[in-house]
Amino acid sequence: MNMPILSTKLYIPLLRTRVVQRPRLIERLNEGLDRKLTLISASAGFGKTTLVSEWVTGCDRPVAWLSLDEGDDDFTRFLTHLVAALQTIVENIGGGVVSELKSAQPPPTESILTILLNEISALPYKFVLVLDDYHVIDAKEIDDALGFLLEHLPPQVHLVIATRENPQFPLGRLRARGLLTELRATDLRFTPEEAAMFFNQVMGLNLTAEDITLLEARTEGWIAGLQLAALSMQGREDIQAFVPAFAGDNRYIVDYLVEEVLQSQPDHVRSFLLQTSILDRLHGSLCDAVTGQQDGNARLQSLERGNFFVVPLDDKRQWYRYHHLFAEVLSVHLREDQPDQVAELHRRASMWYEQYGSMADAIRHALAAKDYARVADLVELAWLPMSRSRQETAVLGWLKAIPDEIVRYRPVLCVEYAWASLACNELDAAMDRLLDAERWLEMMVHQHDLPEGALDKMIVVDEMAFRRLPGLIAVYRSGHAQVQGNVPAAMKYAQQVLDLVPEDDHLPRGAATALLGLASWTSGDLETAHRMFSDGLASVQQSGNITDTIGGAVALATIRIAQGRLRQAMHTYEQGLKLATEHGEPKLRGTADMYVGMSELCREHNDLHLATQHLLRSKELGEHTELPQNPSRWHVTMARILEAQGDLEGALDLLYEAEGLFVSDFFPNVRPIAAVKTRIWVAQGRLFEAFDWIKGEGLSAQDDLSYLREFEHITLARVLTAQYKSDRAERSILEAMELLERLLQSAEEGKRTGSVIEILIVQALAHQLKGNIPAALVPLERALILAEPEGYVRIFVDEGKSMMVLLEAALKQGIASNYVYYLLTAFGKAEDIKPAKQVVNEPLNKTQSEAQSEPLSERERDVLRLLRTELNGPDIARELMVSLNTLRTHTKNIYDKLRVNNRRAAVRRSEELDMF
Amino acid sequence: MSETYGSPNDHQEHCLYEIRIKGHLDARWAERFESMSFTHESDGTTILYGPVVDQAELHGLLRKVRDLGLPLVSVIQVDL
Repeated sequence: MNMPILSTKLYIPLLRTRVVQRPRLIERLNEGLDRKLTLISASAGFGKTTLVSEWVTGCDRPVAWLSLDEGDDDFTRFLTHLVAALQTIVENIGGGVVSELKSAQPPPTESILTILLNEISALPYKFVLVLDDYHVIDAKEIDDALGFLLEHLPPQVHLVIATRENPQFPLGRLRARGLLTELRATDLRFTPEEAAMFFNQVMGLNLTAEDITLLEARTEGWIAGLQLAALSMQGREDIQAFVPAFAGDNRYIVDYLVEEVLQSQPDHVRSFLLQTSILDRLHGSLCDAVTGQQDGNARLQSLERGNFFVVPLDDKRQWYRYHHLFAEVLSVHLREDQPDQVAELHRRASMWYEQYGSMADAIRHALAAKDYARVADLVELAWLPMSRSRQETAVLGWLKAIPDEIVRYRPVLCVEYAWASLACNELDAAMDRLLDAERWLEMMVHQHDLPEGALDKMIVVDEMAFRRLPGLIAVYRSGHAQVQGNVPAAMKYAQQVLDLVPEDDHLPRGAATALLGLASWTSGDLETAHRMFSDGLASVQQSGNITDTIGGAVALATIRIAQGRLRQAMHTYEQGLKLATEHGEPKLRGTADMYVGMSELCREHNDLHLATQHLLRSKELGEHTELPQNPSRWHVTMARILEAQGDLEGALDLLYEAEGLFVSDFFPNVRPIAAVKTRIWVAQGRLFEAFDWIKGEGLSAQDDLSYLREFEHITLARVLTAQYKSDRAERSILEAMELLERLLQSAEEGKRTGSVIEILIVQALAHQLKGNIPAALVPLERALILAEPEGYVRIFVDEGKSMMVLLEAALKQGIASNYVYYLLTAFGKAEDIKPAKQVVNEPLNKTQSEAQSEPLSERERDVLRLLRTELNGPDIARELMVSLNTLRTHTKNIYDKLRVNNRRAAVRRSEELDMF
Repeated sequence: MSETYGSPNDHQEHCLYEIRIKGHLDARWAERFESMSFTHESDGTTILYGPVVDQAELHGLLRKVRDLGLPLVSVIQVDL
């Protein structure tokens, strides 16, 4: 019953009724076909859509049509829908464009559009692209994009824009170059001949020439006015009286005529028109439900035939909408005639949608009816399906619209509220709601001691859910404690769930088991954590909740990585992906996260190309397929790839962005982004910032150690080692060595081989700094033995030159020679591969010679000057008063022009070229 | 136009505006036009008169005029 909105936006709304033939306009439009743009610009009711749909269906080129609405005033959505429209004539065109758009950090608009233009210019035929209702677009970005598209439009495409106001991109140049065909109100209004044809042939009215002249003068040829006038006159005896009365009246034409039309219709038609004006989209059975009449579909079809401003939305003649102007006027009349009816009509629409259509539409109409009790009922019933598809944001939006005093009496709704708040990271609100629900449950237990009727006010719609509340509340309390880092409480509540909930109620039991697993993870007992968490996930999956199962793969793989079992981690992600693809379309949330995880592992194996490809794939899938943490994880992973390619500044920029995108979840945050950043600072020799971080985190080499802070403590040891390298003060190297020794012991006790390998490497480098190569080779050899079976590469190579020297020493000693040799070859590799940024941004196809001949712009020279200083990315952006994204675009262009791929190389190259 | 036109602080409290459109607009539209008062002039125009909070609201009103296909005659900021 429900019709996907998108297909209605791409349908060419061809009216089946007879319309006035307008050969003079069609001819002008045909003449313009080989120009770039046809602009049809006139206010509402001038027949723009009718004319264009008539014209394009009669022309011999394929047509892509997009009816815009307010929702498209967002660049990403606009371009996504534009591509969808193109795909109606060219399969798969622009697929890459859409995925680029959905990435957390889309490439510059122009490079996205260039990809699209290139694809279009490869087509072997010409086609027409129509953008209807372009006036709903306000976003400057979209106007700019359209200006850019027009500037570079290949001959394959002819663009048609219909709008109520002139678009904001420059038309002057197109006009001057004869690339524009324009039709405006003066061209569109009906001439007296057209008006005569319309009244007498299309509407069958037999008006005199005099009448037509009067009507034409009164309406100034405005088609909507003439059409309303014709509708008013149909079936009238006294047309002779009607025309002069209307012509002599000063009222707003639409007001006057709609009243006339409504009066001249039989009662049931009049109330049909008024009552259905509350609907965005019309369907026969939906109209019946709202009006209480029958034969809604026949009514809609006859309205369409009768020229009643009804626009078809599909070619089956099932879904329609009213012309916007007409609907607006009808709904004002409805509010005037039947103000008390409006809410009831919305309620009926809501009931229809509940039965036949989408819950979201049912809830939307219930909200419009301000029937909050009904909204509450519907939202309560929607909990299970909405939670399975992880649509907590939508649920929370609805719940917030319901007045508090209604929510409070509904324990199930309170707990649903807590679930949605927790999932959206609104922890305090979640706890308040749980308290409300617990009060009711408490009263249930003690109802014998309470006065008669104390529980009468409690409302429960979903009895099943109500019975499960105690278990669910304990799940959320456990989750909340886990997020707060309160392991004992998290375990206590999780245990409570297992005590309360029967064996066959898989979801809460699974969640509780998984939470126990997370608690073990937080305290560093990884083997138990992995076992409990996978058991928990299995139960969650049994309950039909696939998305959380897929998301859980991230936790399992992260645990495996800490244990140094990279192959198992990869397997975990592959399984997650398999689960996601088995589900088919639409792609589930969590799918994109799998690719980010696989990318991280490919990076460790030094397959930077595949790692980048995985990140691209993750972007391509779009944001509806990712869990809330994915954007941040994506950026961290990308940053590490840039780091591997030697672009430390670029990596830092991405890490800053990752911090902004970070949302905490139930998983312990075992690799805080701030610590990842600090490691880059250490590599850059920026110890000042690194020590700032140590101070800010309150870290010291004497701290008690815990798995939760292991990554930060290893980072601290790295900072201290670097400190020794710069000032040779014994104290810091001693502190580092002691700390590393303790860290090693703790990681070995917890069987965290991943951590062990890294600690051994840092130990080896510390010995090397002290000038003691034999002592350095001892931990290094151990690290090599542990790392070889799992194929670690970057963990060594990221250490740079000192590690290369050490490995060469190891090779001389015959330590793990094959593996060491393999690692040594990896050192040169990073230079040879295409930088990830270019893979991600597929730059405009520039040939080498072009790139050489391109001088830097003034702005780019400013950026380059600052790249030669010690300032970091954010500082430079502040200095130039631009956003980080803009700065990145500049640096990317500079790198492209200088044909380098990192900051240092850019500075070196600019000096070689003597640019300053 | 007043001096402040186009200045960044266009959040002057409630300027009064007169929006003149062609045709007599029925009072039933008052609600759609932020409850401005309607005056029908003898020359067949309607004056919508009332307080406008800021530029954004003014443009919203003009957009409604546009979407109803009402010919816009003039927009004036008035002191009283």
